Order: sequence, then C-alpha cells, then structure tokens
Amino acid sequence: MFKFVKISNNSLLPKYQEGDYVLIVKIPLFLNSVRRGDVVVFRHPLYGMMIKKVSRVAGDGKEIYVVGTHENSVDSRQFGAVRKDALIGKVIWHIGKPFR
Amino acid sequence: MIYKLIKVLDKRFGIEKAKAHCDIPCGIYDPITGQIAALTVVRMIDLMNDLENKHPAGGLEAQNSMSRYVASKEEHAEKAKHEIRVIWGDYIKPQHMEKHPELQDLVHKIMQLGSKSRQTADRETAIQFVEAINQFAEIFWETKGIAVKRAKAPYAPALEMIYPDL
Repeated sequence: MFKFVKISNNSLLPKYQEGDYVLIVKIPLFLNSVRRGDVVVFRHPLYGMMIKKVSRVAGDGKEIYVVGTHENSVDSRQFGAVRKDALIGKVIWHIGKPFR
Repeated sequence: MIYKLIKVLDKRFGIEKAKAHCDIPCGIYDPITGQIAALTVVRMIDLMNDLENKHPAGGLEAQNSMSRYVASKEEHAEKAKHEIRVIWGDYIKPQHMEKHPELQDLVHKIMQLGSKSRQTADRETAIQFVEAINQFAEIFWETKGIAVKRAKAPYAPALEMIYPDL
C-alpha cells in the first residue's frame, strides 16, 4: 500500500534532491486520480523506475505526460506519454535531507 | 530526525531507487575547460598588444587580425563564465556551500571579471579572471577529495593553473 523510495539523480531539482526519500501510495484509487502537478513513480521500459511530475493527463485518462523541473530532465518530451498501468505510486510525503 | 531514521532503514534493508533522470551524464564536471577559456582571454590580449606594437598604423590585414582576436576574447570570456555557471548550478550543493561560504562571492566575482574582460583589453583584469577561476577549481577539487597542484600552463601565456594532482 505504501512504500519508501529513494531519489537518484537531479531532474526534479530544486525541490527534490538526490538522496531524498519519498513515501508513495500504491492504492489504485489514488493512482487513477493522479492529476497535473502530482509527483509520481512509474516503471519505464528503458530507464527503469523513475520519478517525475505529471504535466498532463491524456483526454482518455489512460496515459499521462510527465516532466522534470531541471532543464536537462529526460521525460515525456523525449519518450512520450506514460501508460497509467505503468504507475507504481503517487508521492504523498517528501523527506528531504536535514541540512536544508 | 525522520530522515536519519529512514536512512538507517535504507542501509539495513535497502530502499529501492527511483531515477529523476537527466540527459547528461551527471557527475562529469571539470573546471579545466573554464580555466583554459580564461587563459585564452589573456592570450588574446597579448596578441592584440603585439599586433598594435607591430602595426601602429593599422592597415587592412592588421584590422582583420585584430577583429579576430577581439572576437575570440569575447567568445572565450563568455565560455569561461558558462562553464563556471554549469558547475555552480548543477554540481554545487548546499553541503558544499556550508563548507565553503565564500563560493557565492567567488562565483559572482568570476562573472564580473568575465564581463570586464569582454568590455576591456586590460591584461590585469584577465589575469584576475584566471586566478578567480583557479580558486574556484581549488574548491571544486576539494569537494571531491582530490588534491591539487599549481603548475604553469605548458603554453603561452604560461600562467599558473590549478590541476588535480592525480
């Protein structure tokens, strides 16, 4: 139902940094209701498990488009839409490093 | 407190990673490109001075060469600034800032000296530009735990540069 995930790499800077942790909820009800601005964890066939921000939900609701907040982010602008059934969870808690 | 607790759990049980992927191989940073670009600025000023001494009356060929030197000086001053901005923006983290609080002022100084090096043909300013980037390089390598050495560049204008002592 819930899972902790560690962030690697920096495409969600400045809010999410490498080494931060997030708690994700895996309940389908939550995943079906993702909307623009949510941060989600999903499985990509090439890149593996990724974390990005939802920029748009497709009209039929079966796909989402994701982006990073860093200029060099690899996201839907390169690999296109993500199927909703590839979603693993939605971030509900961000645990950043304490030095901030 | 919570972060530390989760980190302990991570070490004990291993928490899965999710990639916030970037399209550049993050981790490949080196201030040497900025250092060389700044050194090139000094070299261009030296060539400009040589040209003026050899051809005080100017002439078409001299003007052509002078234009090229100035253009190269412009380009490399901006390139040096760009290289430092990339390391500053993409590599430097809060923990580095905590350890080296002078970084903020140093980067600002580099930007200012880079601009002044474009605006003028003042060799002293360009040398200060090189030295400020050397200081940045010293801090950069310190953050990676790599010792540095000072050595003269093996080409004109043979100013002292900071190199990683590998």
